Amino acid sequence: MSTPATAELRAQLTHVVARSARLLDERRFGEWIDLTAPEFRYRIQAYSPDIRREMTWLDHDRAGMLALIELLPKHHVDGADLLRQISVGEVSSESASEASSVSSLSIFYTARDIGDSHVDGGSSRLFVVGRYHDRFRLEAGEWRLSERSVRLQTRQLGVGSHLFP
Amino acid sequence: MTSQTSRQWRQSLGSPALPFVDSRIYTERDIFDDELHKIWRKSWLLVAHESELHEPLDFRTTTIAREPVALVRGEDNVVRAFLNVCPHRGTLLLREPAGNLRQASPSGSPKRITCMFHAWQFDAKGQCLSIPRRNAGYQERLQCSDVSLHQLPCEVGYGGFVWVHLDANPVPLREAMGEAFSALGPHLEAEPLEVFHHHKAIVHTNYKLWHETNSEFYHDYMHHFNRVTGMQQAGYHDRRYEAFPGGHATVSSMEVKYTAYEHEQVNLADERDLSFPLLERNGWKLLDLFPGITLNLRGSALRVDTATPLSEDRVLIEFRGLGLKRDSEAERERRVRDHNTIWGPFGRNLPEDLLGVTSQALGMRPGSEALHVLQGRREDSRVHDEVGLRHYYSEWSRRLGRSASDPYGEAAEARSGTAQELLARPLGAAE
Repeated sequence: MSTPATAELRAQLTHVVARSARLLDERRFGEWIDLTAPEFRYRIQAYSPDIRREMTWLDHDRAGMLALIELLPKHHVDGADLLRQISVGEVSSESASEASSVSSLSIFYTARDIGDSHVDGGSSRLFVVGRYHDRFRLEAGEWRLSERSVRLQTRQLGVGSHLFP
Repeated sequence: MTSQTSRQWRQSLGSPALPFVDSRIYTERDIFDDELHKIWRKSWLLVAHESELHEPLDFRTTTIAREPVALVRGEDNVVRAFLNVCPHRGTLLLREPAGNLRQASPSGSPKRITCMFHAWQFDAKGQCLSIPRRNAGYQERLQCSDVSLHQLPCEVGYGGFVWVHLDANPVPLREAMGEAFSALGPHLEAEPLEVFHHHKAIVHTNYKLWHETNSEFYHDYMHHFNRVTGMQQAGYHDRRYEAFPGGHATVSSMEVKYTAYEHEQVNLADERDLSFPLLERNGWKLLDLFPGITLNLRGSALRVDTATPLSEDRVLIEFRGLGLKRDSEAERERRVRDHNTIWGPFGRNLPEDLLGVTSQALGMRPGSEALHVLQGRREDSRVHDEVGLRHYYSEWSRRLGRSASDPYGEAAEARSGTAQELLARPLGAAE
């Protein structure tokens, strides 16, 4: 049974969520993985009103995410800068060592080196909006992400992305 | 030749001249408008799968050649297509992408299509049922029987896909497809299918460039995933293209070696054992249908792309993923994962394909220097042969009554002019 979080727990989890966003923004993927627990599971999900079904667009465990990251240099990844704007909302404590949070998410896209860089380079636009549904586990005194489910409202993502929100 | 002048840029390449298309077919508005009328309004188009409207009174909305279209499954279980437009004042009728008519709209009754504006109501067969205060307003001058929805030719076939044609009297779907489904059809029709994935993208490119990407395979040099799992594997270069009347073409199968992609070795290597009916394990067949539909069956999942051209430089592409209706939860999860690993919006292949075609559109813009876009690879109709592209443009040229390599007839006119000059020249005159 979950209970509302203390101010201290809220501050601790907010720090983890904010740090995870900054590390992804800066493509410091190795440090981002270090924020996750061994049982980490990452999913991107959305509801399609077109086919009236829940969809899972990405679903990996920690090893899968690590492999995804390590293979990025072999793919033609859009070089845009992404900026994750996070607002941590509900924070709940499940036990002394387990907690969860729901955060609203906006990701802004700033064009850089792919596309018509002469015309578009430096311009920003909204890429996606949605929510993080995060679960955390206390491990050696540090809160680690044990699960992240990204619920996207945005279903049109242009060319898409090799990166993840 | 180290670089080319403007004149050389527009010359035919190779010796003898290789097949090409003029880049203006991708960039010019008048050609695009011509295509809408002569191709998109005159073709059977795959617009949905029956599993998207599997219950009586389910509906689905879409757009074809700027026409809003509604698909409705009647209480008699027949899927019908209508222009999604009220015959009264032209208002869009069904505004959601999908739903069920049992749910009454705010101004209407259950089981009816009700126009939100003036509450004219229609049944699932398109018949008008109610015009509010009809007697008071129209007296005997207008009856419900005088108006109905504009019904369009609609067929369900080839694995339960819903096909619509804007022309009132098209050739039957089976005739239009001919033998195009001969290779893929058995896999699609062995068991009922079901859609599990749908996403769409508005892509800044010409729709034909997208279809070309689905029709030529040697851009796999761009894809690390396809390169290592396909192109570098045995059997890849033996895959054969087969062209069919109407601009359609198919490519034969090979066994994809998924474990060659390093990521698969982490946690997927021993799990790629789910397939489609009658398809060999990890097989890969593809069918391109004129003018902008591709069915791509690889391993456990079927991907279906449908293009809706919006302008000469914008196209809406819908991506569907399908499995079997009888899938267990575990099987469905497997298919979803297999599909989205490469073809989802965060997959390994799809963003690369879309970056490729948007880059083409940036290189060929309206009013920019026209170039000859080569389609000259000939490899005995094997996978890197561009026979699929040449076949597509043969049909395109036939439909439009203009050559894809000379869309404005300039080369023909120049040849004609030369002939006229020769004829006008006095016999024996010096060159």
